[in-house]
Amino acid sequence: MYAKKSNCKKFINIRQNGSDKLSLLINRSWNNVLNENLPDNMLRAALQRNDPAAVELIWERYAIDLFAYLQGVLCSRQDAEDVLQTVFVRIVQKRHRLAKAHHLDAYVYRIARNEASSFISRRKRERKAKLVNESWLIVLEDKQETNELAGQIKAALVCLPQQQREVIVMKIYRQKTFLEISRLLGLSRNTVASRYRYGMEKLRTLLGDLIL
Amino acid sequence: MNEKEAQNEQLENILRKAHLPEPSSELKKRITAEATKAWNQIPTELPWLIPLRRLAASAAAAIVIIWLANYYSEHTLAQWHPVNFTDASRHPSGHEALPEMPYGPLMKRLAVLNRRPAMLDTSALNDHVEKLRQFLNEQQQNGISRPSVPSGDKSYLIPNQTSFNSYS
Repeated sequence: MYAKKSNCKKFINIRQNGSDKLSLLINRSWNNVLNENLPDNMLRAALQRNDPAAVELIWERYAIDLFAYLQGVLCSRQDAEDVLQTVFVRIVQKRHRLAKAHHLDAYVYRIARNEASSFISRRKRERKAKLVNESWLIVLEDKQETNELAGQIKAALVCLPQQQREVIVMKIYRQKTFLEISRLLGLSRNTVASRYRYGMEKLRTLLGDLIL
Repeated sequence: MNEKEAQNEQLENILRKAHLPEPSSELKKRITAEATKAWNQIPTELPWLIPLRRLAASAAAAIVIIWLANYYSEHTLAQWHPVNFTDASRHPSGHEALPEMPYGPLMKRLAVLNRRPAMLDTSALNDHVEKLRQFLNEQQQNGISRPSVPSGDKSYLIPNQTSFNSYS
């Protein structure tokens, strides 16, 4: 009887601790959701008000990520700048649809992806040799060694298929998780992971000299 | 497997030594100015206009489809030459036996063209019709309104089996 009572007490304690932990977890996750969605809501409200200040908000929220993504896809800083401008104009043109979109960032990335694809199809001539020489990937220290390294990495990334390159760029240079990348590109998580794996395998072959 | 993972980590570290440049302030000015200009140029798109526009597009598509169907039908009928009376009278049963189909005139025309040679003798049929006409005239002249039934309880109007066989 006594043992049963003590077990009950333990169970109640566990339950209380568990509920506290659960409530803490819920609060944390709710705060995360609020923090993540706050800029989205602000942006959505500005778009619905038809406020031109939304352009600034869009820039603050997406410009760096989109620019990195476009550089990774196009392998050219100049082209990425041109396409980024087109993307922003396109976003402004579709602002009412954007305001209604479930995931703003996925919608914005879709626009960027479409614009990059149409730009690539316009840029028909082969420019791989030229692209390697462009400064779309830089190193912090301006030394000969590091510059050579940047050159090697650029040459290796240019050799990758676009689909693998965009995943690697988002994962390595923008620190996105597979889940985030899959949401942004509208792909399954497994597809993103396999593209990353295949891309890394190719890079391992291409940059084999650098790996000890 | 561990060796592979270690190599991947090493490779990631090598890749992270380089980085992608962020957009410059000049680029920001240029793009935001361009986007704001586009914002002011484009009139506000009313949300209720979108379904209305879709409805109009659907209606236009339906009109085009119906017009094309009518045009095609008329074009087909214009190409179709009706067969003359004698040809038609030769094949009455086959013509009627054709089911109703969407491309009725065309199919009937094809059926007529592909039909086997006539099985009926038109002269025999004409003779029979002539006989019937004579009989009716005689009856009219005699002033008998009710048709008489000849011997054998068979009407002259209804041809017997032997007369049917004579047509073929």
